[in-house]
Amino acid sequence: MKKKENSGQVILIAVLAMALILLFTQVYVFEVQMSTVYPNYTLLNEHILTIRLGSRNVVIGSIANASSGGSNTILAANLNKWVGLVNKQTEFGRSSLTYTMEETEPYSSGIWLSWGTEGFGVSSATAHFTYNLSDREVDADFSYAVNITTTLMIEGSFRKANGDEKQVNVTINLLNEDKPALAVQITLYYRVIDSWLTPNASNNYAVTDYGNGTYLASFIANIPSATVDVSVLVRDQRQILVQANATCSQI
Amino acid sequence: MLDNKAQIRTIEAFLAISVMFSALALTLQMPSTPDFEKQRQLKKLGTQILMQLDFNGTLGKLIEDANWTSLRANLDLFLPSGILYNLTVYDENLQRVNTQEVCNSNQQGVAAVVVQYLCVIQSADTHFYTIQLRLAWLE
Repeated sequence: MKKKENSGQVILIAVLAMALILLFTQVYVFEVQMSTVYPNYTLLNEHILTIRLGSRNVVIGSIANASSGGSNTILAANLNKWVGLVNKQTEFGRSSLTYTMEETEPYSSGIWLSWGTEGFGVSSATAHFTYNLSDREVDADFSYAVNITTTLMIEGSFRKANGDEKQVNVTINLLNEDKPALAVQITLYYRVIDSWLTPNASNNYAVTDYGNGTYLASFIANIPSATVDVSVLVRDQRQILVQANATCSQI
Repeated sequence: MLDNKAQIRTIEAFLAISVMFSALALTLQMPSTPDFEKQRQLKKLGTQILMQLDFNGTLGKLIEDANWTSLRANLDLFLPSGILYNLTVYDENLQRVNTQEVCNSNQQGVAAVVVQYLCVIQSADTHFYTIQLRLAWLE
């Protein structure tokens, strides 16, 4: 009889227990989902690519600076800043970016500038990077190198006209990492005795752009010497300067 | 006495029902887990767009020139419709650089993902910027 009288309270307690189980189950499922889905390493590839792209831009900026007369230490200075910024990143764990500059001949402090007299000029910078990410769930090393090279090749020829007057043609080829590249500025000089002059409209100076990194510069000038020396200074689209000198052949 | 018992039983039944309904109502009101896949996609998209703009130096040039209108136009062009964005540029000292808002709406109260991007300017005067791009799906 007593048991029967208490049955309602038992049902109430059972219902309360069921309700609590329901709530706790829901909370548990929520917590488990949160902990298993995050953090997420599928975006790691993009993260690594952004670090590589940034490293490339640092090297480009540094060689642009060095080729415009800047210091040879600019690459190290910029890379130190870059490494400091990257190593503050913590989204995917502890970041550690280190670098070494290319020191193998002809590079010095990662930079090689060779503006030669054989119709060939190079402005180049190279650095090697190691990026380490470490966390409870990831420990990975990525190594990559960045080489930025702007190469200029020129070849000239001239034909004698009246007296000292000469018709000069200079073919200019510009390369970025051995691939044809476009120039944003081409300055041509020719030598008259000990002075370097730039041709202008009065010299019928014209530059033909073939759109594939090849340019043909032509002009007419009074050049008393038997040979014609030309110098071409080119700035590519990355603001890297490169110069080459050549002696034109007579045709 | 018999009448009282019936009333108590009825009250107990009501109590039991109300407890169950309260539990169910609370369960339904529990916040659902965020859609991580959608958030991941959004973050990936944001990173890829910034990289695309940065690869040829466009992103850096727009920041250096303080051409926020053009930067906004580029984001409008690259981001699919239905995505809200808000971009902020910070310099090396973490001072805000963009004087104008670079966004397509007010994102207040919207759950957003944040893409943090380090941008290096491709120029002889190398500058470093930290870009924060907040993205959210239009509800």
